[in-house]
Amino acid sequence: MSKAGLKCPNCGSSNIVNDDLYSQAQLVCVECGAVVSEGSLADDPLWGTDVSYSRTTAVKKNPCLNLIKGLERVKEICRILRLNAEIEHLAQTYFRTAYQHESFINVTLQRKEVLAGCCVCISCRQRNWPITLGTICCVLNAEETLLGGVYQEMLKILNIQAPFVSVVEVIETHVHEYKISKQDVPEDFAEDPKVLTKRAVELVELAGESWIVTGRRPLPLMMAATYLAWQSLNPNRHRLKFSLDKFCNMAKVRKRRAAATRITELKEVLCRLGKELPWVTEAVTESDVVPLVGDILKYRHSLLARALKTHEKALEANCAQTSTLNHPTDEVVPTQHSESRNENESTSSVVQLSPSNKGENQGDKNDDQSEEPVPNWGKKVLFAPPCVINAKRRRVERRVENCTGDEEISDGEIDSYIRSPQEARDFALMQKMLSLPNSENS
Amino acid sequence: MDSKNDEALDIIVTNVVATFRTRCHLNLRKIALEGTNVIYKPEMGKVLMKLRKPKITASIWSSGKIICTGATSEEEAKLGARRLARCLQKLGFKVRFSAFRVVNVLAVCSMPFAVHLINFTNNNRPIASYEPELHPAATYRIKNLKATVQVFSTGSLTVTGPNVQNVAAAVEHIYPILYECQKPRCK
Repeated sequence: MSKAGLKCPNCGSSNIVNDDLYSQAQLVCVECGAVVSEGSLADDPLWGTDVSYSRTTAVKKNPCLNLIKGLERVKEICRILRLNAEIEHLAQTYFRTAYQHESFINVTLQRKEVLAGCCVCISCRQRNWPITLGTICCVLNAEETLLGGVYQEMLKILNIQAPFVSVVEVIETHVHEYKISKQDVPEDFAEDPKVLTKRAVELVELAGESWIVTGRRPLPLMMAATYLAWQSLNPNRHRLKFSLDKFCNMAKVRKRRAAATRITELKEVLCRLGKELPWVTEAVTESDVVPLVGDILKYRHSLLARALKTHEKALEANCAQTSTLNHPTDEVVPTQHSESRNENESTSSVVQLSPSNKGENQGDKNDDQSEEPVPNWGKKVLFAPPCVINAKRRRVERRVENCTGDEEISDGEIDSYIRSPQEARDFALMQKMLSLPNSENS
Repeated sequence: MDSKNDEALDIIVTNVVATFRTRCHLNLRKIALEGTNVIYKPEMGKVLMKLRKPKITASIWSSGKIICTGATSEEEAKLGARRLARCLQKLGFKVRFSAFRVVNVLAVCSMPFAVHLINFTNNNRPIASYEPELHPAATYRIKNLKATVQVFSTGSLTVTGPNVQNVAAAVEHIYPILYECQKPRCK
């Protein structure tokens, strides 16, 4: 295209060549030297500049498109969750403020969507509307870890705090999800949501007092409470035989795996309280505690007091029994307290704080053992979480005693970490042999 | 010290992380070939070497930077690091043990009482933060000690700090605060 078919306007010759001058493309006639045509010196944009003239002279800056989309998303989430206008407005304000911050302005769209969800969550919490992060997670269909990270960052940036949401507040919404009203299921299995909620709330309060709620996710616990409440409101043969799986299928909710463990734990607590009922003569087991649940919950405060007294009496009896067998260095003492005492001995000898305190601590521990055998508070109270009752015993073996860090290191010791030349050759050979069959197969 | 006059608290140091430099380039393939207890990770560009006594795992990079983890005291970390440097010396590298620094110390401690985390967080905002759905412990950051304490409702603590002294000071600092917010034993 540079040479063929062109004619010099000056002399009419068709000998035109490309003779670029620096960065400017030029077509020049060889005969007379006239420039036939030339390209642009600088790379001007083809159709005007990137920023239009009107935008450069605009008085008011248009809001970013993603910000507008984000605000719409906030509104959408509020409509899905049926929140009132005040919460919606507050969420939008938070979103607008957080969006301008450097940690949220140049991030992925997914993160911005999660930010929208977090703003909604914090606004609900501040206006005392019960909502969990799990709900937001479901609505956004986002990962929990991402949601958690964005939530913490947002709290730090906006410098706001939120009051805590307890499980009791959230359970009402949860129970209403279950489709077990008279229209959905047969008469025998139907239950009024209000009555069900009331009983489930009582069960959750009981769970809160007996260390089942702390540190656990709320949803499986609420499911367990609903299931037990439903069973106990009409404990006929059909309902008692209904498993958790079937109940969830009937109510059209997704079963949570941890709910089964929570049911076992709740039943255990109910058994311990059921034993204290004055009109119960036979032993209460997990399988026949459900019909008694109504009564247990009705009188639970007095039952708790009675159970505590029984527990304290049992502890005193054990204390009296073991005080005669109290040996500070004896490892194996076949009583209830042996486990905790062993734990004391192992922990007291591993204080790494400073070597001079070691002797002191041992002395202290021995005194403690004769007066108060259990620093582990789990044994003293009626209910305690599993990690306290079955406290881990720390292994002591791997301590290096009297270490200064500047000791001599013997040659023999180091040699144990190095292969001899023959071993190294064998190792290399073996690696080659191992890789060969792999390459043959592939 | 007066607040904990009844029982001495056992602070158990579970992990000490330290770094040092060898001031020379290291051939990772040679270390992987001639060293025992060695795992070569070419995709990450490092070699993991495990010592038996003290029980330490070291990540060795070819630039000569080494991170040692798994020690249970600062002195043990130093001993392990020196042992490692001697090992590399024997393998033929011109190692000079320098820039040894303890980076992080992790310790656990157990209070003899349970803690009411919600009260604790409300009394100590914004130093303390607690989000029960995300993590079951409340986080308490002590700025001047550069230590972070994670408080569980059972009374167990996990403390991380730049050295053992700071960790001990952090526990001393937080004990009275936790004592105020303890859970009453009987209802």
